[in-house]
Amino acid sequence: MKTSSQAHGRRDGQRNGRRDRIGWPSTIILLLGAFYCLMPVAWVLMAATKSTAELFGTFTFSPSGNLFTNIANLTDMRDGLFWRWMGNSALYAAVGGGLSTLISAMAGYALAKFNFRGKKLAFNILLVGVLVPGVVLAIPQYLLLAKVGLTNTYWSVLLPSIISPYSVYLARVYAGAAVPTDVIEAGRTDGAHTWRIFRSIAMPMMLPGLITIFLFQFVAIWNNYMLPFIMLGNDQLYPLTVGLSSLVNQGSQYPAMYALVITGALLSIIPLIALFLSLQRYWRVDLAAGAVKA
Amino acid sequence: MNNRTWARLAAVTAALALTLGACSSSDGDSATGGSTSGDTATDSAAGGDTAAGGDTAADGDTSQGDGATSGYDLNNPPGSETPVELIYWDWAPGIENIVDQWNAKNNGITVTLVTMDGGDPAIAKLLTAIKAGSGAPDIMHSEYQMIPTLVVGDALIDMTEYLDPSVKGQFTDAVWNSVTLGTDAVYAVPGDFGPLAFFYRADKFEEWGLTVPTTWDEYAEVARQVREKDPNAYLGTFSSNDAGWFTGMTQQAGASWWGIKDDSWTVDVNSDATKKVAEYWGGLVEEGAILNTPMYTPEWVAALADGTQVGWLSASWAPSVLISNAPDTQGLWKAAPLPQWDAANPATGTWGGSGTAITAQSEHPAEAAQFISWLNASEEGVKAMAELGQYPAADDLRTKVMTEPPAFMAAQTDYVDLLNQIAGTVNPFTYGPNVNVAYSAYNDEFGKACEQKSQDAFVAAVDTMQSLTLEDLISSGFAVAE
Amino acid sequence: MTAAQATPSASPPTATPAGTTRRPRKRKRQLWRDLPAWGFLTPVAVLFVLFMVAPIGYALFLSFRTYKTQGLGLGKGARKEVWNGLENYAKALSDPEFLASVGRVLIYGLVLVPTMILLATIFALLLDSRRARLKQFSRVSIFLPYAVPAVISSLMWGFLYLPAVSPFHWLAGRAGVSLPNMVSPNLITFAVANIALWGGVGFNMVVIYTSLKAIPSELYEAAVLDGCTEFQIAVRVKVPIVAPAIIMTLLFSLISTLQVFAEPMTLKPLTNTVPSTWTPLMKIYRDAFVRDDIFSAAASSIVVAFVTFLVSFGFLRLVQGRAFNEDQ
Repeated sequence: MKTSSQAHGRRDGQRNGRRDRIGWPSTIILLLGAFYCLMPVAWVLMAATKSTAELFGTFTFSPSGNLFTNIANLTDMRDGLFWRWMGNSALYAAVGGGLSTLISAMAGYALAKFNFRGKKLAFNILLVGVLVPGVVLAIPQYLLLAKVGLTNTYWSVLLPSIISPYSVYLARVYAGAAVPTDVIEAGRTDGAHTWRIFRSIAMPMMLPGLITIFLFQFVAIWNNYMLPFIMLGNDQLYPLTVGLSSLVNQGSQYPAMYALVITGALLSIIPLIALFLSLQRYWRVDLAAGAVKA
Repeated sequence: MNNRTWARLAAVTAALALTLGACSSSDGDSATGGSTSGDTATDSAAGGDTAAGGDTAADGDTSQGDGATSGYDLNNPPGSETPVELIYWDWAPGIENIVDQWNAKNNGITVTLVTMDGGDPAIAKLLTAIKAGSGAPDIMHSEYQMIPTLVVGDALIDMTEYLDPSVKGQFTDAVWNSVTLGTDAVYAVPGDFGPLAFFYRADKFEEWGLTVPTTWDEYAEVARQVREKDPNAYLGTFSSNDAGWFTGMTQQAGASWWGIKDDSWTVDVNSDATKKVAEYWGGLVEEGAILNTPMYTPEWVAALADGTQVGWLSASWAPSVLISNAPDTQGLWKAAPLPQWDAANPATGTWGGSGTAITAQSEHPAEAAQFISWLNASEEGVKAMAELGQYPAADDLRTKVMTEPPAFMAAQTDYVDLLNQIAGTVNPFTYGPNVNVAYSAYNDEFGKACEQKSQDAFVAAVDTMQSLTLEDLISSGFAVAE
Repeated sequence: MTAAQATPSASPPTATPAGTTRRPRKRKRQLWRDLPAWGFLTPVAVLFVLFMVAPIGYALFLSFRTYKTQGLGLGKGARKEVWNGLENYAKALSDPEFLASVGRVLIYGLVLVPTMILLATIFALLLDSRRARLKQFSRVSIFLPYAVPAVISSLMWGFLYLPAVSPFHWLAGRAGVSLPNMVSPNLITFAVANIALWGGVGFNMVVIYTSLKAIPSELYEAAVLDGCTEFQIAVRVKVPIVAPAIIMTLLFSLISTLQVFAEPMTLKPLTNTVPSTWTPLMKIYRDAFVRDDIFSAAASSIVVAFVTFLVSFGFLRLVQGRAFNEDQ
């Protein structure tokens, strides 16, 4: 932490004693990028304030006053089903992401800090796993889970979400970079258990990286559409992505849903934005810290 | 685990009971038919569930229900001695209200609704669940055109033995045929159906001095006039996303894309009738008299709402779509019969419409049949369905419960009679086991043709659909007649 | 993520205190010593087998099977599952729709991947530059779309594309100019690529930016003293150092390009121009879920997975394994 903030202090123009001239071209390019990325979000924000008639009848970037009516309508829909979807998404993403981070940390730590037979093979198999397209897996996963009667349950989405070769790969990088070997050896001479060394020495050192892994996995599960779409038939179990797209599908018979869908889209983005904003400080510092320590 | 073991046990018992039931019920049928078969079915089911098996439930309720020709009361079926839970997949908005109404009967059969995310995903999930061997519901809602696919996929059972004969009497032969596929089996009970009609903005027609087209030639003429009156307005659109719509159009012209001849399927997608329809619409799209963009897009909804889409060739359920899309246009729309190819012989096709079936994984088919019969063929069920804005298929019951036009069409006093009259002119049509192949070929081929805006491409698209559909049937091993 | 390799002093890989693994007589000790490592790997290994290896094996099995129907196919058991040899593969590889979808995705990738990585690198370098302002705001804004599921972003962009409801077309109409229709056949590839670019550029930017942050500043302070401009430092010093991170982002972008699905699938019902087999995965989805032909779908999936491996390994060979093989 200390090292990183020093490094930043040295390199960050604004905090430096000698202020650099403002680079207008650079700033403008960045702002153009920001505009490009924010514009559709702003559109959703505006569109969510409109009634169905206004949505299709007026210029969509001008706001209207129906946001709370839309939210109320969305809340009324099938006894608050939308909020249940929100809760399901949070459950899948938080529990799935948490477990995924934990087991990835363990595996990454083992791959980075142990010498054992089959290590290279294990790592290479894992890399192949990174490359397997998700859709190739989804259909046979469904058929296999159906054979043990687990489809259409929370488990059918949670279990496949926990395994993430990519997270293991990241955890291995972090463990390699953030946990010095001599610290482990010191722990060993003290007679500490392998698990205890991992839990009380390695884990805290990897923590910044683990938060990143958690974030990646959280977002990946939150945004996943294919897996829950295939696994779930009961709309009480849907996450937001499947729920909202099912609204669009039903919209093919009752398209008044467009106002609801757009409001739902807006509400579904908010938690992740909040997560990003609140954790982005960790995000930056942590990655830098991990690297500097190595 | 406990639950599963129990369920398996129950399954075995039920299966045993059903085999027995099946035997006695077929006996009953051949002997006197009527009430015997209905009662036997319910008895056997009750017996199957409780080893003790009393039949008080079956005999207890015999209050006279409308449309009941036997002792069986469609409004208040006997229910079940032991509590039975049935899983029911549907996707129609509001259907939970009808299910609640059933469950309020407290007759031992509890229906648990699982709301699916639309017709096609529901079919896909059912077929996958059937393949996997578990996970299917007891009761499945299916559009008519998908029933052959489900039957071929071993997803549905023949429910003849569980149905009271009074059920069949509620439906016209044309509708009933779509759930039997022309065989002796019954794979579903018809729920709603969608005879095609022409919906138009009466206010715009009046403003522009247009007359309502009664033939397709007139329709083309009116479409051109609309373009002249307002360059932003269109009388209609050709939608490459809605294969069911196009199928209905060809049905009106006398096409039937599939057929059964001497134990073989026939495929006749590119019949003269279909080609005539494709040529007609291709011509209109090519000259720009109508739009070439799909229905149900945000654009289309916008056009409905702002009055640049002044007509819609749609089905009996159109008012419920219009009211949610373009609520401000209430009272401005009117319905008329579809424009005709031959004005002397009025005909129409259908778009949409669905039935309710029992899946092959159901352990309680007899109870499921009770619910399905109530839902689609009892006065209570039909009334509830009509209140949702659906157009029930049960002919007499619909006429009885639907006396007022839907609120959206209230301005048109003869709406109900008109629709009933149109419903009587539906042409027969047979769907085959690979409707999905034909329909996805429709989406792709007509998508291209619409983009090209070429009449020739429209006609060629029909030929491509024919060959893709036929090849698929042959390569899957079906017996196909030339 | 790739921060570690940027630092010249990566720790040596000899992690365990016990001796080397040469002597056969030490095998028993070796196994005993390996136990903790496998203990740590067990949860991942078990789930990996259950949810990756087994499904792939099952997909392979299915890819050699098919349904055969008899007669009308209406009676019970009229349809049977049988072996089909390589027929499904032959069908997939000779299917013009499948080949067309692969071609489409290649063009789409050629448009998308270079644009995305170039923009991500430029943004990352600008964020790292001293003179740009409002960097915090820009970084968060550009990263934000990553939080939006593809299903939702595609629906959003769909509204922005469709001429009749697009605010851009509305504005252009007021100004008397006409904008091209993004969902027309000529532009649809760009329309889909734009959605993916919007969703992905921020993520890749953060990956590269993270690597940039890890560069010890001494490394280019010398360059500053030599009088290099910031642009020169960026191109000559920073880019080569973060090259492994850029390669990683390229690789993952390539993989996700081959798997593009949600964006065109969501746009499909809005237009005539996206057929149901627009991308290989859409065809797989159609076969499995619309046509109930899970066997063809399995064979096509295997082909797609195989192509993905070829592309990935080919690419990694091309860049000489600089990304994955650090400290192996």
